[in-house]
Amino acid sequence: MTDSHFSRRSLMRYGAYGAGAAALAGTAASWDRLTGADIPGRDDGSLVVATLGPAYGPEAIRTLTEGFKKLHPDIKLRINAVQATDWSDFFAKILTQIAAGTAPDLVYVATEGVQLFAQRLGVALDKWVKRDADELREYFADVHPSLVESMMYEGSLYQLPVEFNAADIYLNSQVLKRAGASFPAADWTRDDFTTLLRDMKKSSGSQFTPYFWTNRLWGGVVPWLFANGTNLLSESKAPGGAWLWDSFYPAADRQGRGGGYRWTTPQATHERVEEAYDYLASLIQEDLCTRPEGGNGQNLIGVFSTGRVGVTPAGGFWAGGLNLAGMKNGSFDVQYFPRWRTQRMQFGAAGYALLRTSKLQDEAWEFIKFASRRDTLMRLFETNQTTPARRSMLTADRYREMGPNHWQVFYDTLDKFPDTGPIPAPPQVAEVEQVLLKHTGTALASRRSVAPALRRMQSDLEKAMERDV
Amino acid sequence: MTNTQIPAVRPKRQVAEAAPAPRPSARERGTRLLAALFLAPTIVGIVIFTVVPIVGSVVLSLFHWNVIDSPTFAGADNYREMVTDSTVLVSFRNTLVFMVLAVALQLFIALTLALAVNGRMPVWLRSVFRSAFFFPLILSAASISVVMKYLFNQDFGVVNWLLGLIGIAPVPWLTSENSAMAAVILVYVWQQFGFSFLLFVGGLNNIPKEIHEAASLDGATGLRKHLTVTLPLLSPTLLVASVVGIINALQVFEQPYVLTNGGPGDSTRTVVMVIYETAFEQLRFGEASAVGVLLFVLVMAVTALQFRLSRRFVHYQ
Repeated sequence: MTDSHFSRRSLMRYGAYGAGAAALAGTAASWDRLTGADIPGRDDGSLVVATLGPAYGPEAIRTLTEGFKKLHPDIKLRINAVQATDWSDFFAKILTQIAAGTAPDLVYVATEGVQLFAQRLGVALDKWVKRDADELREYFADVHPSLVESMMYEGSLYQLPVEFNAADIYLNSQVLKRAGASFPAADWTRDDFTTLLRDMKKSSGSQFTPYFWTNRLWGGVVPWLFANGTNLLSESKAPGGAWLWDSFYPAADRQGRGGGYRWTTPQATHERVEEAYDYLASLIQEDLCTRPEGGNGQNLIGVFSTGRVGVTPAGGFWAGGLNLAGMKNGSFDVQYFPRWRTQRMQFGAAGYALLRTSKLQDEAWEFIKFASRRDTLMRLFETNQTTPARRSMLTADRYREMGPNHWQVFYDTLDKFPDTGPIPAPPQVAEVEQVLLKHTGTALASRRSVAPALRRMQSDLEKAMERDV
Repeated sequence: MTNTQIPAVRPKRQVAEAAPAPRPSARERGTRLLAALFLAPTIVGIVIFTVVPIVGSVVLSLFHWNVIDSPTFAGADNYREMVTDSTVLVSFRNTLVFMVLAVALQLFIALTLALAVNGRMPVWLRSVFRSAFFFPLILSAASISVVMKYLFNQDFGVVNWLLGLIGIAPVPWLTSENSAMAAVILVYVWQQFGFSFLLFVGGLNNIPKEIHEAASLDGATGLRKHLTVTLPLLSPTLLVASVVGIINALQVFEQPYVLTNGGPGDSTRTVVMVIYETAFEQLRFGEASAVGVLLFVLVMAVTALQFRLSRRFVHYQ
């Protein structure tokens, strides 16, 4: 009898277990399995482009990769479609990638993130734009200067816009007919809008909401602020930008252009802001409009297409969305946002931003140019899932099948209303947006809630704007 | 005898009387070594995936870091800012209110249903109910919340449509400060109560029938029997269910984030939402870590308090 803990039998048994475990581990280790290294283009010097996943399906990715390969067979390209619910979620994921040391070379960025990326992460495109001016002349001639200006920051251009969406008003034709109302005129007023809502309400049941909108930065309260000649933050233009305007735009289009927008002092307690909120609160009290929920308005297409909503603010992207929901041409139409003190409207645009961390900046510029070409955009935007930034792409042919009848409204929002501008999105946009959504919800609880909620909004906006990102 | 792992109260050690521990035999040493080998993967996992991130958060909470630039030392700045930030304070209040109401409702519903299912009922029907009640728990909280957002919509939601059938005016479930938290709690409880329900069913099955029979012979009926016999004997299970329920409730995120995005105002903003927004939307990782550290301390404190109180209220057979 030894003092050893293991008997020979135990030793044999544990030895067998150990050998079995080692064999299993060895098998698992040698098994042919997927790892991060198996992702095509990973760490092989490819140009990496991060796009908003839901907007870029496999077909779009194929279009971009194959088209770019034909043009630049020497540049490897990898499209990284990042799944996200909205732009702020998308930016959060991109920033996480940057923090992890796996930053893409290019990021698809909307107005919401233009200044954040420009200030902290982006590379100005000025030198390349100047160098390839002749090649780009056709592009700028086709793109409204307001869209280009919205992509500028402190005098420099950071992106070439490829798409945009302005907040126009969509109307359900069936609901209009039921209300005995005619299609509104282009210069309709806020009071015309209210009358239309009342007519719609009278002619429909209790399960009907004349005006439905979502509480968000784009298409929420902001269009009403613009219509009332005000904004959430004071708006001015940065100096500079003449290098671009003088090179690419005629004198008439250069008028009043600068080096990009500056959104600085919060003005939530401005009387016009209060007026706009008061108006929306009155619509809610009168049951003409929904109490706005947050989110991206995904649930809206369903209720609009079934005639439970009369009007809603949306952009060119809805033409495709409503068609997918089964709405035929003629069952809906679009008109400009109604006039109040002004008929200035809001838009959001998007394009590719080049990151400072990129080691392939010249190759990235070639992709930016490729992505803004007319033939590329024609293939990408076949289903009218957005409004192309190129004016020449908005034709009767494009909208003949799916509508709307007044498709010209999409680009005329810029052409006929040159003061139409981007949603306010300073580098502190994430916090600004959160403050806006938070207090809008409270402000619209009743008309008495408006002033106190706006005072709190002002205080929170001041704090947000004081912070450096 | 129950199988619960709750340690019994240990008597105070008689330090002065303690004899030196005998040296363990070779067999004991071998057993300990083997136990350590088996525990090693778990311990390594806990260290890498739990301890290191906790320490990392504590360290990060002492810095300003926006992901893009290098971190700069902030000392206690983030903590100072946290206690003066009304959004953070409100989120803690909301989370505590949510915890109390959601856990109480969850335990009440789970216990009531467990008692009902445990009663006279065919075995097959019992299985159906068990599966049905547990089913929501295996679904993604975010997916459920997306669907619930439709159901609770003021204008087009099924919930208001059903209320309309019995003459109740539409309720602004998700858009009024008075009802948003209630809606979030309802959705959360609906998804979570299945876990407590299963625990209670297991606990009830462990109570010997003889004790209930004896109580019946003594004249105890229905509710009285449950209050004086079932509940005391179920107290260890209640403790486990409440500890797990409270820890989960203090970390609630998906339901308020998807349903109301923390609104209207801050009425449904929870601590984990604030951590997410501060870190990933506002790029203030130091401040977010400080809030995270405080939440960690709160969870530990509440759990410790529960175990402390359990000495008085939990009965082991």
